[in-house]
Amino acid sequence: MPVQFAAKRLGKELNKIQNGLPPGIELISADNLEEWLLDIRVLDNNPLYLNDTYRLKFRFGQSYPIEPPEVVFVKQADRPIPIHPHIYSNGIICLDLLGQQGWSPVQSVESVCMSLQSMLTGNTKNERPPGDEEFVRANKQRPKDIEFYYHDNTV
Amino acid sequence: MSGQSSLALKEEGNRHFQKGDYVAAEALYTKAQPPFFKTHRILADPTNPLLYTNRAMARLKMSRWDSVIEDCEECLRLSSSTTHLPLKNYDQAVAYALEAHKICADTHDKSLAAVTSQVLKCKKERWEHREKLRKREEQELEGEVVEMLRREMDGLLKTTSSSGEDEDEEGRKETEKMYEEKIERIRAVFERARDKENQRRPNPPDWAIDDISFQVMVDPVMTKTGKSYERASIEEHLRRSETDPLTRTPLTIKDLLPNIDLKHACEEFLNENGWAVDW
Repeated sequence: MPVQFAAKRLGKELNKIQNGLPPGIELISADNLEEWLLDIRVLDNNPLYLNDTYRLKFRFGQSYPIEPPEVVFVKQADRPIPIHPHIYSNGIICLDLLGQQGWSPVQSVESVCMSLQSMLTGNTKNERPPGDEEFVRANKQRPKDIEFYYHDNTV
Repeated sequence: MSGQSSLALKEEGNRHFQKGDYVAAEALYTKAQPPFFKTHRILADPTNPLLYTNRAMARLKMSRWDSVIEDCEECLRLSSSTTHLPLKNYDQAVAYALEAHKICADTHDKSLAAVTSQVLKCKKERWEHREKLRKREEQELEGEVVEMLRREMDGLLKTTSSSGEDEDEEGRKETEKMYEEKIERIRAVFERARDKENQRRPNPPDWAIDDISFQVMVDPVMTKTGKSYERASIEEHLRRSETDPLTRTPLTIKDLLPNIDLKHACEEFLNENGWAVDW
């Protein structure tokens, strides 16, 4: 896979993003074609996420968009990790769409942000994934190398 | 060595090449390029890129990869250093790129994505060249029209210049003023056309854009659902996962169908809008 594939596609995505993003999504930085930061907010009145903004970090490999980007929430003073049964407290997200099986090259930074927005919007459970503490303590793997089991697709 | 014998050697080389004697062909192509041509002004034709492409082909057949690359690079260097390329060479470049694309597409070669980008690049350069010519012609046309008006004015002024009466003087001024206004207006019309041209750069239409590479499509192929993608992109995806990108249902390279009408539409769009390659 030639390197230019990812570079060209990301250049064009950035071009589109700079022309406007859906409400609740904001580009924070895209200084290079390897790592971008975006903020997302939940637009409805879900009390779990009210008044909070969350920071997402996208990392792209050279085979993007054939391969999925690595997407995690990152914690900062004013940017908590959203509570959700599929989001570990270290920011790692367990979402089918971002996995090797669920990813599709027609997805984009924008569409991933929208999926995460709606994943939060639809959630009512004020809890972390089972085994969160242990996972966070033990995990040294990059998100893309983790085998998630999508045992519960109702959330 | 004369240009004549350089040509003869090349043709001799071609004959050997066709017979499959690549070693002999390569030697002949090499001979056809006089030694030391980089430092000496020579009689033969060292700037002929064809000698390099031919020798590259012969070396390719002998699997001498490094030498192939060397020859191709030399050939590119020669071709690009030639200034004032006639339009024909741009057409040729597009034709060659499309030929390479066809070979890659037919053999499902992994360089297809790179070659597809090359096709786009060639088309963009051809468009830029045509635009430059067109703009120059329009500028010349503007000059000519203004010149014609001036000549017409001068002719009119001459017929009234014989007598020195006030009445004639008045008429002359009137004529001059009228023509200056006309010239002004002509210039304004051309200027307006140029302005308008510089403004029209919206994003290319969605139908022409591949949803995977986000580039204008060169060779759109359709999946079972009727959605079209650039051949290079979807094949790259299918090598990784044999699923339809939208529906996730099973899909293989064999299921893809060329979308000829869309291909023609994209071609037509790109011919008029070469800028869209780098939108």
